[in-house]
Amino acid sequence: MTQAVLEARDIVKRFGAITALSGVSFDVRPGEVHALCGENGAGKSTLIKLLAGVHPHGSYEGEILMDGHPAAFGSTRDAERAGIAIIHQELALFPEMSVGENLFLGALPQRRGRIDWDRVYAQAAATLAECGIALDPATRVGDLGVGHQQLIEIARAVARRPRVLVLDEPTAALAQHEIGTLLQLVRRLRDSGVACVFISHKLDEVFAVADRITVLRDGTGQGTLEAAATDAGEIIRRMVGRQIEDYYPRRQVEPGRTLLAVHGLAVAPPRTGGLQLQDVSFEVRAGEVLGIGGLMGAGRSELLMHLLGLWGTRRAGTVGLDGEDLSVRNPREALARGLALVTEDRKRYGLIPEQGVAFNVSLSSLPTLRRGALIDRNDEVQRVQAAVDDLRIKVRDLEQPAATLSGGNQQKVVLGKVLLTKPKVLLLDEPTRGIDVGAKLEVYELVNRLTAAGQAIVLVSSELGELMGMADRIVMLCEGRIGGVFGRGEATQERLLAAAMGRLGRAA
Amino acid sequence: MNRIATRELSMVIALAAIWAFFAWQEPVFLSSRNLSLLSVELAVTAVLALGMLVVLLPGQIDLSAGSGVGLAGAVAAVLVFWHGVPAPFALLLAAVGAVLVWSAMGALIAIERIPAFIMTLGGLLVFRGLHWLVIENQTVPVVEGGSQNIYSLLTTYYLPPVAGYALAGLTVAAMVASTLNARARRRSYGFVVDDGELTFLKLFVLAQLVFLAVIVTNGYRGVPVALVILGLVAVLVHQLITHTPFGRYLYAIGGNEDAATVSGVPVRATIIGAYALMGGIVALTGFMQTAYSGASTSTVGSLMELDAVAACVIGGTSLRGGRGSVLGVLFGALIMASLLNGMTLMAVSPEAKYIARGTVLALAVWLDLRMGQGGR
Repeated sequence: MTQAVLEARDIVKRFGAITALSGVSFDVRPGEVHALCGENGAGKSTLIKLLAGVHPHGSYEGEILMDGHPAAFGSTRDAERAGIAIIHQELALFPEMSVGENLFLGALPQRRGRIDWDRVYAQAAATLAECGIALDPATRVGDLGVGHQQLIEIARAVARRPRVLVLDEPTAALAQHEIGTLLQLVRRLRDSGVACVFISHKLDEVFAVADRITVLRDGTGQGTLEAAATDAGEIIRRMVGRQIEDYYPRRQVEPGRTLLAVHGLAVAPPRTGGLQLQDVSFEVRAGEVLGIGGLMGAGRSELLMHLLGLWGTRRAGTVGLDGEDLSVRNPREALARGLALVTEDRKRYGLIPEQGVAFNVSLSSLPTLRRGALIDRNDEVQRVQAAVDDLRIKVRDLEQPAATLSGGNQQKVVLGKVLLTKPKVLLLDEPTRGIDVGAKLEVYELVNRLTAAGQAIVLVSSELGELMGMADRIVMLCEGRIGGVFGRGEATQERLLAAAMGRLGRAA
Repeated sequence: MNRIATRELSMVIALAAIWAFFAWQEPVFLSSRNLSLLSVELAVTAVLALGMLVVLLPGQIDLSAGSGVGLAGAVAAVLVFWHGVPAPFALLLAAVGAVLVWSAMGALIAIERIPAFIMTLGGLLVFRGLHWLVIENQTVPVVEGGSQNIYSLLTTYYLPPVAGYALAGLTVAAMVASTLNARARRRSYGFVVDDGELTFLKLFVLAQLVFLAVIVTNGYRGVPVALVILGLVAVLVHQLITHTPFGRYLYAIGGNEDAATVSGVPVRATIIGAYALMGGIVALTGFMQTAYSGASTSTVGSLMELDAVAACVIGGTSLRGGRGSVLGVLFGALIMASLLNGMTLMAVSPEAKYIARGTVLALAVWLDLRMGQGGR
């Protein structure tokens, strides 16, 4: 067996009280593709960041070895120098520059203090040929499609002659035929002796390219398997294997009339062709919690943003709210009709950080808080105080700036603001992300109270456990389409994940 | 809390230093006549600055305000003194025109997303050109009709002494009543209230200042009507930005526009409304400034937008939006007006004046950034 180029041994990495990796081992050999699989939050990114020197030596326990010798990367620079190249999910190219410039930026060949353009383009052409990319190095990168840009990104890494190449979800933004080209390039690099680490949510890609597969779950290794000796079902089982230990206090109620009905929805992203959501249909009834899951980029947040009039152009389909057609142009209209959203990104879409709790909580309800032209301060303070008591928001006083609250309390302020508008349907996008366990439970209890009072809730979550624990029905989205619908009790983690990967029926 | 107190205090010290310097260089600075003129100049600067505050709160800016001041004053002057249109009607016409034009600029900024900086920079040039066109590059005196003409009365009418004292008494009574009322309310809501002694001290100082202003201006001709106009505008703007949904929306948009949108704030309508209000205030300032100059000439209003921005920033308004208050802006305007008045008294050359104004503007913004960092 060949000696591993890069090896991580018994890695433990903690962020404060949270253990992101506990005793993970991983290695990659020259001339192989080693795939890394796991749910969102399983620890893949943390492991990669460790190997890339983002989390420097000394901030973790365990050992990283290069060619069998201990390596101590103090920075990303050290890792680069050792021959580790990482291609991140987001493209980091300069669209206004040529392919050649992008390939060698930061290390452009010079002659007497001036850039030697002939050499730039000659070397670029050589690198492109080596990668099997048929492109003119003088092309402006901005004129290329996303697929080609992703290939340029890889070529840029290749130009630095890496010994280990890490690809983090390289196909997330690519169309089917572009994926083929990319996988071809990965195989080519492997055959030239580069050790490749390949991270992808899409198991068919993993099996198309990987020699070995390591599965991570909740920060622990779930074994390394020879790709030829296993199948997708086995990988999914290892990815989700845990039992649900968390406590989900869902109390179901008899559902009432349909409050939100979506039929055959197709939505195009702004300013581009193509559809990001297609043929999406579901209904939510009074007193019901509909869970929506899916992998990153499946279109969950986009769906909610579209319902609220914030995102995309509707190409087909209808949305009905409490029996009436709903097509709103902005959140103001949506709120007036009884549809409200708590967004995933609290900082960006939730709060006015400098302003106080009362200001934030009453912001969406000001038209109903007036006496003549002025705001009725008494009424405002009373209603905000009631919301603060009801949600048990811990504040010094109602003028405490929102920015100074803890994550859980900030989330409750956003919830308070939304609830003050008395919505019929409440859309919750990752309502428990980044808040502590106690606050989580309070959010779940709130969901119970609201549904008991006859409101309908759409709960988007990337935690399968949360969906299974709190939702009465679950819709899994897969690349903008519905990958599967499950009733309470029908859902298992394996089946949900299989639906999210578009493999329902094969793996489950 | 401490940071704000430091800031307030340093402003008071800066103002005292400016006044002391001018009083030392030109003892005339503290004469009744000059302070009376200064109060008119303050009124003009501060009214425009209050309009600028409303535009800055949602994170926008209006660089065309100075040109607009010249244009609005010119349109009214030409209507009244060349075409014999009755003054009240001419003023109304010019004001309505300004509101419409500023609403249009606001719409282009809010809906078409033209950056406010560029849009109003374009406005600056266009309005200056129109201004010169309207007055045909001549001087249009705003004097005829004398005491019958409400246009020139804007800065030449003074309240009789008794009326001045009565007004001061009423103002102080209103201040005391509203402060006590607000304290009682805030306490009932469980909010932090200033310590009683401090509140009394603040009220006492303010009341003294009000009476001092009346005594000083009565020493010349009486309380200028321009100062009364400023008082009314200040109360109106304060009510608007702190006690109406529109005002909350201004702060919300400036604080976090994305969150405001998701919260159902009518972002576009609010920004257009802010510019519409600015249009009205620009027209009002235009009438006052033109009347104060005695004529509509090609230089009336020039660079006033920068004095207004400086006044806002000195008074604690954030250029990024989301922070600012009427009281702060009044204070900033007093500093700016004092500087300009004092420099004129000392017969500082126009070159040096430009340099001084520019330096103050840059200093104020630098200070704003420093303070902003401290809070983050």
